[in-house]
Amino acid sequence: MPYNVIVLIKQIPDIDQMKTNPGTGEPLLQNVPLRMENLSKNAVEAAVRIKEKNGGKVTVLCFGTDKSTSVMKEAYAMGADEGYLITGYPGNYPSVTAKALASKIKEIPHDLVILGNQSADSYTGLLPGSISAILGEPLLGNAVDIKLQEKQVSVVSALEDNNLEITAEMPAIVSVAQEINEPRLPPVLQIMAAGRKPINQSAASDLQVPEIKTLSNRAPKSDRKRIVFEDPAKGIEEVSKVIREAIR
Amino acid sequence: MKVLAFSDSKTILAQIISRFRDDAEVHALTHDTEFTAKFGAAKTIGMKGDILSGSVAKAIEKMQSDEGYDLIAIGSTVTGREVAGMLATMLSLHAVSEVNSVNLDGGKITTSRFFYGGKSLLTEESGAKIAVLAPGIAEAKESPGKTEVSEIQLEPSAVRIVSKTDKKGGSVDIEKAQIIVSVGRGLGKKENLEKVEPFAKAVHGEIAGSRPVCLDYGWLSEDRQVGLSGKKVQPKLYIALGISGQIQHIAGMRNSKLVIAVNKDKSAPIFEEADYGIVGDLFDVIAKLKEKVAQ
Repeated sequence: MPYNVIVLIKQIPDIDQMKTNPGTGEPLLQNVPLRMENLSKNAVEAAVRIKEKNGGKVTVLCFGTDKSTSVMKEAYAMGADEGYLITGYPGNYPSVTAKALASKIKEIPHDLVILGNQSADSYTGLLPGSISAILGEPLLGNAVDIKLQEKQVSVVSALEDNNLEITAEMPAIVSVAQEINEPRLPPVLQIMAAGRKPINQSAASDLQVPEIKTLSNRAPKSDRKRIVFEDPAKGIEEVSKVIREAIR
Repeated sequence: MKVLAFSDSKTILAQIISRFRDDAEVHALTHDTEFTAKFGAAKTIGMKGDILSGSVAKAIEKMQSDEGYDLIAIGSTVTGREVAGMLATMLSLHAVSEVNSVNLDGGKITTSRFFYGGKSLLTEESGAKIAVLAPGIAEAKESPGKTEVSEIQLEPSAVRIVSKTDKKGGSVDIEKAQIIVSVGRGLGKKENLEKVEPFAKAVHGEIAGSRPVCLDYGWLSEDRQVGLSGKKVQPKLYIALGISGQIQHIAGMRNSKLVIAVNKDKSAPIFEEADYGIVGDLFDVIAKLKEKVAQ
């Protein structure tokens, strides 16, 4: 049977290209390109595979800014059918993001909501639980495999010490782990077609941003000696002494 | 002050109790009362029933309305983060996650957590009443203090467990290891582990690995993965072999006392996070290091 799947995606600065100020250690975000968050890609891939197998529709939601149309187009190129961009993202406040996304989710009929388990920039992992609680839909978390049968969704949830196979009735929320799939690289034709596809855009209203005072935000201090031997023979001589000392 | 501590990992739970028991009345919610009772919480509450995030969140919601905790401290695991996200909504409380240091001061809480995938350390002051604490928040120390043990029954969840498969490995706890020999992509193939094992044995080290080695290629079991999404280790000696040093990996080994890196690429970022580095073929280097160390 066909399924209506909503995917939640996030746009983040390309962390690998981000540098920190050598003097103050503060992150330098100017001119850092924006990209789709890692697990968001896995989430889109998981949804598109469900559609390819069972039929149905993939709707993408992004809580971002005016600049987030690029990730929406990327999701289109991967096979998403429709997209809603909610602008007004005030930064990393999971409770605010959860409310903004959930209010849109409520307007869209769905069987499944798929999102990444923890985003690559902030890593809070709070969003899946918060969305689940707002919508009153069960959460099946950190999935490495999703199976659908009639109105039942089953996932293999990768926990720290074991893999748990869990099941619930849809509508349900599924958060995915990186191991669930290898996100596709869409062909050029699809990328071009995606550029012409309309994006539904609206502004978030009534955001209640919690009061948080940033005391510091700097590269963690590293006091390593950084003695690097380019001559292995000399390095082995010196480092073996260090190891012998350390393991005594 | 009253703190509720919960984790489905009894190791992290013991650390959380140890962190707060001197400053607060700690109530610990656990699936293993016998183990948890040793760490000096004022109350140890055993959960009966399946530990699923929805059921645990409901139980904590009720406990919060009965007890009015100043802080709900939750261990950072998959289940823990889900519970925290649910509670933040259910109780309308601010939650802060993946915290690796925490200080309570009156109604305010100061927390530090990694941001931008570990590239920065973000220290914030907020009114958060829910904190998800990363492993290693404190050293778990047993306490002779008396604890009152009770039990609660978890409500069934809309999610049902079909089956449970233990992950292979399971016998090793690299978070406690004093010496770690960690391998990265530079290992090349799984069979090459045989060349690393004698070296690890010679330095009395446990073998660990980076994310690609443990998850993408499966050369090592997942419980040996060091990194932001894996184990956070703090050995006295960390030897990184063929590990490039992606920031996600550094975040898992940053608290090591002494770091030695071997990599054939002299511009590998791991050398920035090493006390000593050798540029060269890792198999060559460890074979010779093994001989020298044994002398």
